[in-house]
Amino acid sequence: MKSLEDYQLIIIGGGLSGLAAGIRTARFGQKVLILEQHHFPGGLNSFYYRQGHILETGLHAMTNFAEPSNRHAPLNRLFRQLKLSRKKFQTHEQIGSEIKFQTHGLRFNNDFSFLESEIEREFPGSLDHFRNLAMKVQEHDPFALSKWQSTREILSITLRNKVLEDMLLLPLMVYGNSEEHDMDFGQFVIMFRSIFLEGFFRPEGTIRDFLDMLVEQYKKYDGEIRFQTKVAKIVTHKDRIQGVLLESGEEISCRAVLSTVGIPGTAHLSDWPLELEAYSGKMSFMESISILPSSQRQSVRSDSTIIFYNNKDEFHYSCPDTAIDDSWGVICFPENFQALEEGDVFQVRVTNPANYEIWRQAGSTQYEQLKTESYTKSQQTVGKIIGNYWKGAVFQDSFTPTTIERYTAKAKGAVYGSPLKIKDGCTPWQNLFIAGTDQGYLGIIGSMLSGVTIVNQQLLQ
Amino acid sequence: MTRDEIRDIIIEIIQDIDEEAEFDGLDADAPLRDQLDLDSMDFLDIVMELRKRYQITIPEEEYPELATLNSCVNYLEPKLQSVAVS
Repeated sequence: MKSLEDYQLIIIGGGLSGLAAGIRTARFGQKVLILEQHHFPGGLNSFYYRQGHILETGLHAMTNFAEPSNRHAPLNRLFRQLKLSRKKFQTHEQIGSEIKFQTHGLRFNNDFSFLESEIEREFPGSLDHFRNLAMKVQEHDPFALSKWQSTREILSITLRNKVLEDMLLLPLMVYGNSEEHDMDFGQFVIMFRSIFLEGFFRPEGTIRDFLDMLVEQYKKYDGEIRFQTKVAKIVTHKDRIQGVLLESGEEISCRAVLSTVGIPGTAHLSDWPLELEAYSGKMSFMESISILPSSQRQSVRSDSTIIFYNNKDEFHYSCPDTAIDDSWGVICFPENFQALEEGDVFQVRVTNPANYEIWRQAGSTQYEQLKTESYTKSQQTVGKIIGNYWKGAVFQDSFTPTTIERYTAKAKGAVYGSPLKIKDGCTPWQNLFIAGTDQGYLGIIGSMLSGVTIVNQQLLQ
Repeated sequence: MTRDEIRDIIIEIIQDIDEEAEFDGLDADAPLRDQLDLDSMDFLDIVMELRKRYQITIPEEEYPELATLNSCVNYLEPKLQSVAVS
């Protein structure tokens, strides 16, 4: 089938959802072009180099661990859909992670029964309630289109213990909730399965190797990708898209466009009249990466893969009134996965919630000062948990909500995008679709499944 | 294409979709889905692969025709009659 258009599909954004969507469509012979504004693919989950070290951005770990034999697990379905060999994909499971509150601590790994035993130890009498919740999670189909349900309400009825509720919510919210305060139960189910039932792992190598593998697979099917190419406009005519106009002035025609730059970003490119405030997520973060010499391993308490901490009586998942809120956050040791070789250095990544507006309004001198202040505040707090890790660091770098906005096309640095999602990917234009963060599946595996699902439902039939 | 050739093509496509698929003892009149543990995403791959290779379009309402190996052959026979094995 020859078409008059330059491409059958143009994908805006070379992040994980865009790459997965690209592989999926190119695999069946369609002519596809991915347009990526930066030098590298990956979007939120990418990398950069400083002083010869590769620094990964985005998620601390992949979720949804599954053995290759478990055919229906999301990870393995994804690999089959992209025709990647799961057997050749080497993984390292987490050592174990920890949820640390003032009065209670819970550890978990990729064996669900370990979490159950931890709950029995810390919250005697609550195990049955927790099992009831796990049963609700198993029975719920998060992919069926259903109306918003309050997770807080369901948890308070099922668990009947506010501390346990807050503790379970911390990792699940911080790794994938775009709403403040509460969470849609469907999203809770996805996160509970991906983190507690399936679990954390990382692939062999770095995120760069993972991205290389995807780009290579895409190119094998003759998919095209252009870097440093910014889209200025999605060209519309009545209820259809005709193509895209690049900032360079070049116009490219296509039969369909798949946008992975979020609802606000897509609205901006297409003049989609939307009440943008409702689609702007409030949850953004500051993250600091420290590189430490391996000699310091002894002085840092680093036997976990990830520590989720909260120093207040209750856990409030919301945008702070200050530049950052160091009272809760995440501490990640990217080297602490099973069977990874120890290098000369190791990293500590610390994430705290941050207020986008405060960072945006800071002028350039004030911004640097704010960064130092916030970083110092965070490291004092984290130092009380793992020891004064920053002493002797060979390198440190932080990124803020404005960095995230600049590099990842996430409006207002909201890493999980809009609190309102478009699950079926449809827009007012017949041949313009949304995939990725604002479609609704989050995380590395989730966003890739988002790309695959929208292609399957909207572009292959 | 003969019935045997069509049968081989189906097996080849499934093998290609799933590196683990095991065809020994496959009952040609029992659902592929249960025997090979295929899901709807895998079925879409079979349909798309047939379209890519032989330009045949299978509408969604006719997917049930692909339930067993024999029903696949019956359904595809007239569509692939004039196609030679490549």
